Amino acid sequence: MATTKVPEVRDITRIERIGAHSHIRGLGLDDALEPRQVSQGMVGQLASRRAAGVILEMIKDGHIAGRAVLIAGQPGTGKTAIAMGIAQSLGPDTPFTAMAGSEIFSLEMSKTEALSQAFRKAIGVRIKEETEIIEGEVVEIQIDRPATGTGAKVGKLTLKTTEMETIYDLGNKMIDSLSKEKVQAGDVITIDKATGKISKLGRSFTRARDYDAMGAQTQFVQCPEGELQKRKEVVHTVSLHEIDVINSRTQGFLALFSGDTGEIKSEVREQINAKVCEWREEGKAEIIPGVLFIDEVHMLDMECFSFLNRALESDLSPVLIMATNRGITRIRGTNYQSPHGIPIDLLDRLLIIATSPYTEKETKQILKIRCEEEDVELSEEAHTVLTRIGMETSLRYAIQLISTAGLVCRKRKGTEVQVEDIKRVYSLFLDEARSSQYMKEYQDSFLFNETQTPSMDTS
Amino acid sequence: MDVSQRVLEYLTEVEEAAEDVLSTKQQMVDLDSRRNRNREALSVLRTDETEKVKVCFGNMFIKLPKLKTREMIQKDQEQLDMEINEFRKGLKAKVNRLNELQGKPELRGYSLSPLSTDEIKAVNSLFKR
Repeated sequence: MATTKVPEVRDITRIERIGAHSHIRGLGLDDALEPRQVSQGMVGQLASRRAAGVILEMIKDGHIAGRAVLIAGQPGTGKTAIAMGIAQSLGPDTPFTAMAGSEIFSLEMSKTEALSQAFRKAIGVRIKEETEIIEGEVVEIQIDRPATGTGAKVGKLTLKTTEMETIYDLGNKMIDSLSKEKVQAGDVITIDKATGKISKLGRSFTRARDYDAMGAQTQFVQCPEGELQKRKEVVHTVSLHEIDVINSRTQGFLALFSGDTGEIKSEVREQINAKVCEWREEGKAEIIPGVLFIDEVHMLDMECFSFLNRALESDLSPVLIMATNRGITRIRGTNYQSPHGIPIDLLDRLLIIATSPYTEKETKQILKIRCEEEDVELSEEAHTVLTRIGMETSLRYAIQLISTAGLVCRKRKGTEVQVEDIKRVYSLFLDEARSSQYMKEYQDSFLFNETQTPSMDTS
Repeated sequence: MDVSQRVLEYLTEVEEAAEDVLSTKQQMVDLDSRRNRNREALSVLRTDETEKVKVCFGNMFIKLPKLKTREMIQKDQEQLDMEINEFRKGLKAKVNRLNELQGKPELRGYSLSPLSTDEIKAVNSLFKR
């Protein structure tokens, strides 16, 4: 007899991955917009957080649109963290789109198209849907079928709420849709008055004991309150880009399959702008200018910058937040030098927030927060050693060491990361400075070695 | 004026606004229940064969011709629909006032006027995804 092989089933618990800025929950400001030293995952950078808070309030009140903010500072000084903090504090209702400067270089669409789409993703439109519905618990359904088998069926439906009960006469169509939905006594249903569409919300709690055998998916709901015939209002928030997409889809079927939309014609955008403005004038829509965050903005080239200049002047423009870690450098696509690699005319429109390097105390705090986030326990001495490493090399390198040291510690079945663990990972993984040092010493033995190469052109 | 007096006044104001909202809601419920009873009567009249029907006014039954009765009820229905709409409009303002008194933010998109059915149909294809 052949042995059947039982397939091995292994349950993999889904591991929540921890991102570099997952500990940020807001800007860490109090009600008077004064920054707290340590709050909501933010440490230090008091002046820049206070500045970001002012901008945040203006965005919330809808006072600024079509403005731009630049967060500038050395690498590892919390630029992205501040942008994430702004995003978190804005709440789910304000659209926030984040992209990296290099994302616009794609083969599928032109650079300006990618930027336009990002701009339109960051603008929300709030609209309202209003429907008249009949909502109630089914007390009884009575359907009379004609004896001949053919001909119109007639019936009665009794519905109730906590306040009232009434009988509806049923026509042929309603009877069909009721039996299609398998509605029975005890169900809570809604009937859309305009379309006659019936939807089942669940079974009433009062009927919970009718049967013992009940599917696990049976949902129990309360008997509806108040009047039977209600008006339901639903407010939706959609982005301009989403409206663009449905309207450009009717033209091309290609977009349906790829999920990616490709380029959207400018006529479609203009039509939509006109429609949305019409809605706004009729009081049917509110426009919510959101936030577009472009990280590594020095990766944009001259064309993009002039596009940004123009796009910021449009009346449907979000708040643009950019971040860069460059000093005076070449503007991409030209031979001109400019601060932050951004042309002077655009720079002139920006509010600039500067971030400064963290102090030793702040570094220590950040490392502590990251340890909590990554679930690694650190002994006091190890914490001090790690802080020194963070000060001498970089904050990012020290943060990398947390999780690796945690692994080494678990390997030796320890519960708390000790100085030895830190030392071990410090010797295993090189930081940037030591790696360069190593290169300089041994570059003769590497391949394609060019000894007199100047330093990397980073623009 | 001392503090407790002011607190008391403020609380009274809030309670009054809340009571206002609740009573409007109750009125709407009562009107809807009348509307439903009228609707039931109309559907009975449609199937009924007799020439004249007995209509109850207060504690008295009066025999009236069917056509006349139907007309009367229909007029009442229209009146009820109008009144319910009035209450709905009023309720919005009252809820806003209550929220303001309690220091709650105004509901988002509360004062928007709704899209027409055609427009909603177009936008709905978006929500289904």
